[in-house]
Amino acid sequence: MVYSSTGEGTGRNFSLGQLTVQNTSALSPRSFVFVEVTFTSRPDAGTGTPAATGFNAEVERLFFRYDQSDQLKGSVGRYHTPINWWNTAFHHGLWLQTTIARPEMVRFGSQFIPVHFVGALVEGSFPANGLNLNYNVGLGNGRGNVFSRGGDAGDTNANLATLANVFVRPDRLYGLQVGASVYRDKATPAGGGPDVDETIWAAHLVYQKEDPEIIAEYAHATHDAEDGGPSARSEAYYVQFAYRLPGAGHLWKPYYRYEKIRVDEDDPILTATPGLSGNIVGVRYDATELAAIKLEYRDMKRDRGFASTSGVFAQVSFAF
Amino acid sequence: MTPRRRPRIRPLAAAVLVFLVNATHGALAPGRAAADDVAVVVHPRVPVEDLSLADLRKVLLGDRQFWSSNQRVTLLIRAPVAREREVLLKRVYQMSEAQFRQYWIAKVFRAETAAGPKIVNSNQTATQIAAAVPGAIAFVDAGHVPPGLKVLKINGRLPGQRGYPLQ
Repeated sequence: MVYSSTGEGTGRNFSLGQLTVQNTSALSPRSFVFVEVTFTSRPDAGTGTPAATGFNAEVERLFFRYDQSDQLKGSVGRYHTPINWWNTAFHHGLWLQTTIARPEMVRFGSQFIPVHFVGALVEGSFPANGLNLNYNVGLGNGRGNVFSRGGDAGDTNANLATLANVFVRPDRLYGLQVGASVYRDKATPAGGGPDVDETIWAAHLVYQKEDPEIIAEYAHATHDAEDGGPSARSEAYYVQFAYRLPGAGHLWKPYYRYEKIRVDEDDPILTATPGLSGNIVGVRYDATELAAIKLEYRDMKRDRGFASTSGVFAQVSFAF
Repeated sequence: MTPRRRPRIRPLAAAVLVFLVNATHGALAPGRAAADDVAVVVHPRVPVEDLSLADLRKVLLGDRQFWSSNQRVTLLIRAPVAREREVLLKRVYQMSEAQFRQYWIAKVFRAETAAGPKIVNSNQTATQIAAAVPGAIAFVDAGHVPPGLKVLKINGRLPGQRGYPLQ
């Protein structure tokens, strides 16, 4: 449940947010099926004119995985694309993440990072002399015709998307993770126009002890339209700090996040993505072991004609 | 009436015994019995004798899920309040009870594992399951390890030895 007070548009609101349901079913000692379904409140989910409010159901993740060993695990299905740390660390678990919302570069429904990926993944980990090297390699459908969507019903062209992600978790620095990713695809615009070659490079550094919690991610997207169309270079990053207070204050966790998105004016894919400079400051209170109350102030300045936002947001999130 | 003779300790024999114990098993910490430690016990077929604390952490975090290519780790952890669990949370996980629960909810949520650790309510249950399930690993009071289970060294040390990390 989210409460917002922005002083803009409809001003003050309650929103039921999202219900996430998931299940894991072991099929054998080495294999399992995982499914995650969400129900999201929307002003236009219903039928009729004008569209009525309601809930959208979505199969967010659904895959079959076979574990041969720690070094080799293979799966097929629909995933959250593993080229962004937040995207695969918290998924739809609002209670799991410190803040109320995802960073905008990886927000569901946004364009910068292709959030969903349909295809096959191979992953695993190696000790690597205490570095603990992990990898993901994927082959699948790229973006759908609507660029913020995955290619659920097939790729929009003959070129499948590929991705690779590597990260280390050194024994000597328990809680630290450092990694890098690359994603390549050819995207076909829904409204016609030349295909666009897309390459995204990304990197992350995460220290996930609670005192402190540090998360930093960067992504650079190259979009080159074929047939002499526009070429664009866009980038996004965010840095988040949080600190769980010691002693009697251990239920409280203040946090701060700065995020930035810079979009090339000619970018043929990020057509509905504003440039952004945003500051978020807030506090999380763990009311019980399975429920958290978060209160934050956001100041998000957007360009390219998109509305800026500033205001107070509160959220109650829980797992059950 | 003949006075009762007190048993006499032979200093030389005692010194030899202490030397042999120390030489074969490492030095006992003064004033501390092995029973104060938490023993890491596994099914006898687990192909491991010694784990570093970092490797043990990977097993406990669910990051290492296989002992070998055909033997999966089955993690058995005592229920809350048990001393064995508190030692693991403090020495290995470095988490509070709440952080531990959140960690495993997130682990399953991310589909990195199909299920969290199996929770056991007593040392006896833990050792019984560890003896029966290939790949099982349990953490029990070192004074209550029944025969037939393998006790792993951690950082090259067994329970009771100086520097053993799970105490």
